[in-house]
Amino acid sequence: MSRILKKIRISIFAALLVAGITILLLSASPTEAADEYNCLMCHKHRSTGRIDENGKRWNYNVDEFLYNHSVHRSIECRDCHTYITKVPHDPVTQKVDCANQCHIKPPFAQEKFSHEKIIGIYNQSAHGIGAEDSDELKNAKPYCKYCHSNPMYTRMSETAVPYRETLQRCFNCHPERGVVQAYRHITHRLRKKTSRASQEIVQLCATCHQDVELMKKLNVSERAITAVESYNRSIHGKLVQLGSQKAANCISCHASNALHDIYKKDDPRATIYKDNILNTCRQCHEKTNNWFIKIAVHPSEEHGRNPIIYLVSIFFRVVLYGAVFSMVGLMLFETFGRWTDGIKFLLRGGTSWRGQSRRRSKKEK
Amino acid sequence: MSTFSKVISKMTEIGARQKAEAAEYFTHVDGVGPVPRDIYKYVKSNPYGDLPRYSAHIVIQHLLVFITFILLAATGLPIYFSDVFWASYFVSLFGGIDVARLIHRIAAFVMMFAAAYHIVTIAAGTVRKIRRHEFDYKRTQLPRLKDLFDIIHDIKYFLGREPYRPKMEKFMYKQKAHYLAIIWGNFVLIAAGSALLFPDIMARLFPETLGRILPLGGIDADSYSAFFQDLARLMHADEAVMALILLAFWHWTNVHLVPGRFPIQWTFLTGKITREHQIEEHFLEYLHNLREIPEEREYLKNLLKELKIDGSKTLSTGDQNASFSQPVGAGPVEKT
Repeated sequence: MSRILKKIRISIFAALLVAGITILLLSASPTEAADEYNCLMCHKHRSTGRIDENGKRWNYNVDEFLYNHSVHRSIECRDCHTYITKVPHDPVTQKVDCANQCHIKPPFAQEKFSHEKIIGIYNQSAHGIGAEDSDELKNAKPYCKYCHSNPMYTRMSETAVPYRETLQRCFNCHPERGVVQAYRHITHRLRKKTSRASQEIVQLCATCHQDVELMKKLNVSERAITAVESYNRSIHGKLVQLGSQKAANCISCHASNALHDIYKKDDPRATIYKDNILNTCRQCHEKTNNWFIKIAVHPSEEHGRNPIIYLVSIFFRVVLYGAVFSMVGLMLFETFGRWTDGIKFLLRGGTSWRGQSRRRSKKEK
Repeated sequence: MSTFSKVISKMTEIGARQKAEAAEYFTHVDGVGPVPRDIYKYVKSNPYGDLPRYSAHIVIQHLLVFITFILLAATGLPIYFSDVFWASYFVSLFGGIDVARLIHRIAAFVMMFAAAYHIVTIAAGTVRKIRRHEFDYKRTQLPRLKDLFDIIHDIKYFLGREPYRPKMEKFMYKQKAHYLAIIWGNFVLIAAGSALLFPDIMARLFPETLGRILPLGGIDADSYSAFFQDLARLMHADEAVMALILLAFWHWTNVHLVPGRFPIQWTFLTGKITREHQIEEHFLEYLHNLREIPEEREYLKNLLKELKIDGSKTLSTGDQNASFSQPVGAGPVEKT
């Protein structure tokens, strides 16, 4: 009897232990944001804000939960907002500079981390502000925060990661030695050439490039104005619209692994420069040849391309309408004719010709 | 006097027409007797079919094409109409666009297999018939001048200008038009589809072979690949949409909704055609059936005896000079 009681006691204890561990595991909260200077003391309040001289309302609330799940969760506030030296701080006039050095060190590296390298590449690209740009163009060109808004971590399965391609992207900022080891051991947010979905990339680029008025103001070429439209007409664009993650998006062709090195097509550094385009296509189309690269990736207006294609499309349209209307018309006519002659819709009693003919004989006339 | 001669000439005219119509109306078949043209209104039919029409091979080929066509249309249309709101929902039925494209390709290969299977069946059957000296080009899908006259005759019949439908072979003008359209559509869809599936091979193929032979006005050799790819994009989509519309609005209506075929024509599964349908639309083929199938000959002989047909009286009221206004014999007559 005591044995049984003992067994019961042990099993209850084991059950409680398992339950306790489970509760502990489930209740484990995510890592807390780095907040050494306790900025959240003020900024955690929803009502933190002010109304400026023009009557515009500003909200300075920082949602701790959202920030804890963002990419920059381990970065001190002052690492980016360097101009804040005392608390409470003066009104902020400066903007954040992403080329700052943060106080964190990437794995296996000695110097502090910075986005300086990628910003250097970006400033060289077509989107970087050049010396000879007009004021209008300077204002229109995007800056870091235009596209990047402290993105959230996304959960994804590690098996879906194309290892080599992803690693190529890490080397943009990190030294090659350490990052390979770090990548193998630590869950990473990068899954493809870009961490955004293809649809998001197209939407992002389209915010400016589909804005025809803006593009016309900046004197871009005719093909560039319709670039998004013609891309959406192509098979790549159609598949991306339908949610394909394999089909090429804007970045796939217009940038290398550095992602920010988008050049105009006359620039020899551009991925779409006439000598580089073969390699660019080869990323997906392995058997590319010199003829293949002449196929239009941004197909122009459906029939504006070639007179023969225009004629073929007209031919198809004529055949379509001609065939459909004549065939269906003849069928309706036939049904009418047979119906007058006394056919019924159901085959009953072994025949569907059960009705009387509605045809008039000549004598009745 | 003049009125009398008029009446006489009128009577002789009517008499001549009656004779001609009687010759058209009755077809004498050995061992059966005179077969009236409108006997189809009095025969008994099994809805699942009485007379052979398609072999098992053709039935299987139709089923293969039937299934793959629906799959191809369902996976291809959302790509063509990618900017329409239902496209992405439709694609998600198949588990995403990448899976849908795979299904599209597999279905395309199955359809191509069905086409090859059909060519082999037809070729082997033709060879066998030629060897047995049974081959008759009139019983095939080859278009003839008679088909044109049949259309005109049929339209006249629908208008009420002709008493009876034309006497047609195993394949009437509708089926021949459809068959030719299928051959053309398959050719276009397979050629253009392969150009889309293997763009790298096609891009090289055209300029390096055809490009040297064909001078396409005003196009330099550099743009051949772009031109043919554009052409393939246009033709694949347009031809597919055309095929889909014709099937949905014409073929399916013809085999499902038309009176006499409603609610479904079972030929596509049983390979057999109802007697009524065979005599009405394929009269000449029915005469072949009478010659080849003794049971059918026996059935018709008994029916003619029952209806008391001796080659002098017509059967239905459709005829202008009908000797009686009520149809006789089989089938209850519903007064409308």
